[in-house]
Parts: sequence; C-alpha cells; structure tokens
Amino acid sequence: MEWEPSDLPENNVTDVHPLRELGLLLVGIGGATIVLTLVLAFFIDGVVRFLPAEWEARAFSGLWEELDPVSDDRQGASQELLDRLSLHWQENPYQLRLFVIDAPEPNAFALPGGAIGVTRGLLDDVESENELAFVLAHELGHFERRHHLRGLSRSLALGLVFGAATGGSSGTLLTEWVSNVTQLGFAREHELEADRFGLGLVVAEYGHTGGAADFFEKLPETGAGAIHRMAAWLATHPVSPERIAALKRVARQEGWRRHGELTPLYLNAEPR
Amino acid sequence: MEDPLVQIGAQIIPFFLLMLMGFIVGTTIESNHYREIRKREAQTRHLPTISFRRPPPSWQITSTALVHGNTVVSIDYFKRFLAGLRAITGGRITSYESLLDRARREALLRMKASAIENGFDAIVNVRLETARLANSSRNGQGTAGVEIFAFGTAVKLAS
Ligand SMILES: [Zn+2]
Repeated sequence: MEWEPSDLPENNVTDVHPLRELGLLLVGIGGATIVLTLVLAFFIDGVVRFLPAEWEARAFSGLWEELDPVSDDRQGASQELLDRLSLHWQENPYQLRLFVIDAPEPNAFALPGGAIGVTRGLLDDVESENELAFVLAHELGHFERRHHLRGLSRSLALGLVFGAATGGSSGTLLTEWVSNVTQLGFAREHELEADRFGLGLVVAEYGHTGGAADFFEKLPETGAGAIHRMAAWLATHPVSPERIAALKRVARQEGWRRHGELTPLYLNAEPR
Repeated sequence: MEDPLVQIGAQIIPFFLLMLMGFIVGTTIESNHYREIRKREAQTRHLPTISFRRPPPSWQITSTALVHGNTVVSIDYFKRFLAGLRAITGGRITSYESLLDRARREALLRMKASAIENGFDAIVNVRLETARLANSSRNGQGTAGVEIFAFGTAVKLAS
C-alpha cells in the first residue's frame, strides 16, 4: 500500500471576521429587542386599560410601602382636599390615598392603584390651598388617563425583554435608564393632558384658576440654588413656558375666571 | 442618589476593556498558534497517522505502544461574548470553531511528536475524545475550557 502524505484540509473554521460577526449579532439582536419591546409594550398597554381599579390597588399596594410614608400633621387636611377634588371626577374608580414622603424636594407622583405621594418639600412650598389642589388634581389627571400604567407597561416590557436577554441582574440598571429616556418623550404630552384635567377640577372646586399655576410661575424667580431643589420635580414634571402657556390657553378657551380669592392652607389642621 | 449614567458606565467600561483585551490578546495568540501548528504539521506529515482499526495486512509490525496527546484550551472574553450572542440567535458559533480546531490539531501533533520521539513508524486506530472541563455559567464566573485527547496505537515496522 502506497503512503501519500498530505496536509490536513483547513475546512473546519468558517471564514468570517470576528468583528463582522460581532457587528451582525449586535445589530440583529438589538433590532429584535427593540421590536419585541415595542410590540410587548403595545399589548400590555392595551390590556392594562381594562384592569379594574380594585385589582390595580391590590396588585400594587406593596409598592406604596416602599415609599416609606411618614406621619405628618398636614396629611389629614391634604387627604381631605384630595377627596374633595375627586368628587368633581364622577367616574373615579379609585379609592384614593395620600401619602407624605420625607423628602426636601418639592414633588408629587401618582402610583398605580390610586395612591398619590407628596413630599414634605412640596407641602412646605405651597402657599395656598388652590396651589396644592392643582398639584393633586394634576396627579388625578394622570389617573384619569391611566398614564401611570402606560409608563409601567413600557418599563415592564423593557424589563421582560432585557431580563430574558441578559439573564437578569445586569439588565435592571440599563432597563431603568432606557425606560427613563423613552419616558421623557411622551411625558410632556402626558403632563399637558394631566394639567388640563387638573385645571378643570380646580375650577369646579373654586370657581376660578387663581393660584393654580403659582407653583410653576414661582420657578424662574427662585434662583439658581432653588433650581437644584426643583430638579426632582422637573425630572418627572418638566415645566416649560409652553406648558404654562398651554394652561392659560385652556383657561381662556373654557372661559374660566383667571383670578379669584385664594383659600388658605390647612383650615382644619394645626399649624406646625 | 448616584447618576444612573455613572453607574452604567461603571458596568460598561470594564466590559469594553475586557472585550478589547480579549480581542487583541486572543487574536494574537490564535494567529501565532496557527502559524506554529502549520509549521509542526509540515514537520510531522511524513508519519502515517490513520484511523483504521487494524494496520494494513502487508505491514510487518515489530512492536506497538499506546501514544497520546492532550490539549486543554480556554477561550478569550471576546469570543465567549460572541458565543453568548450566538446562544440567543442560534447558528454557527464561529468563535468556537477555531478554538476546537486548534485544540484538535494540537492534540494530534503532540501525539505524533511522542510517536516520532520514540522511533515509531506509524500510528493506527487514531481516536479523539472531547471533554468539557468547566462550565461557563451565565454570569461569567467559572472557566470555559475543553480538553481534547488524541490517542492511537503506534507501530514499528520491520524494514
Ligand atoms: Zn405629572
């Protein structure tokens, strides 16, 4: 038998540059992730609208505890004000609860299930009941449009997709960041909707819009130091001249009275 | 509260450094290894290395011995990341192909070298065994490695 030595055939390695492979995979997986997230968010959005308020409250009441609410002697009066405002919203399905949070930045937010958190900083800053009423009514506007759930469905979809792709831990931070960034885009639109609804409640309660925009109009005059304090509020409630202008325009269109007597704060509460 | 961008940066920068290091070091080592493999293959190609279970009947065998060669290889961070992406999409894990190709050829070369060193004329019944050495878990802990074991029966022929 003849022995004919030969070189090994080099057919075991696919001839593709690793960087090209990396690029293709990243673009492909990234694109698929975006599409999947959008589709998922769209479906969750559609479903979430039909979630009964009681279910929502039961599902998310655990979240309220994490806010770490503090007892504050202004809580009772604020809750009473919130209840009074909600009477003007006939279809309100929520059992509304107001929590006071120990934070110096003026801020308020609507949590799933009908909870509204207000910071001590906000309660310190407001000068009339009308002003506080508008902030609360604005949050009710988020409930009315179910904005809080729509934001949630996006984060949920992102969390699901990223969690599946990265196997959990490393995904959460990125999810948070991406959802914050994507949130900003539609936040402005939501704020305007909530403002419009909130202003309607304020007018129904007091008969005029006086004091409602005070909180915004104070902002530019409070100086650089105060702007930093406002950062938290701005982050979730971007205040822009166009937002104030939109408020004024709504008031004009609806023929609401712009000025009227302001109600002092905490009529039923002991001063601190 | 810390800026989330700073936190993300703290996670991403080490990742990029590892990717870059894995790519540069891994590519250099691989191309050097291939150069060396091809050189050694050329030097040992005169030794018949066959996978028949029995030697050809015409061979007059004077002595036999078991010869073997063993390689354990790990993979660089860059390739492991590529393979991780492939685990999502499916398809050829091209980054592992060259790893295993090198490991197989290296194991065969070591086996042949030991046969030549001991004065054998050929190796028959050559077999390859593969063992996964350690598991690379999803969070990147543990070492991914494979062992390739080549063995065969070396024979001396009457001249
Ligand atoms: Zn808002």
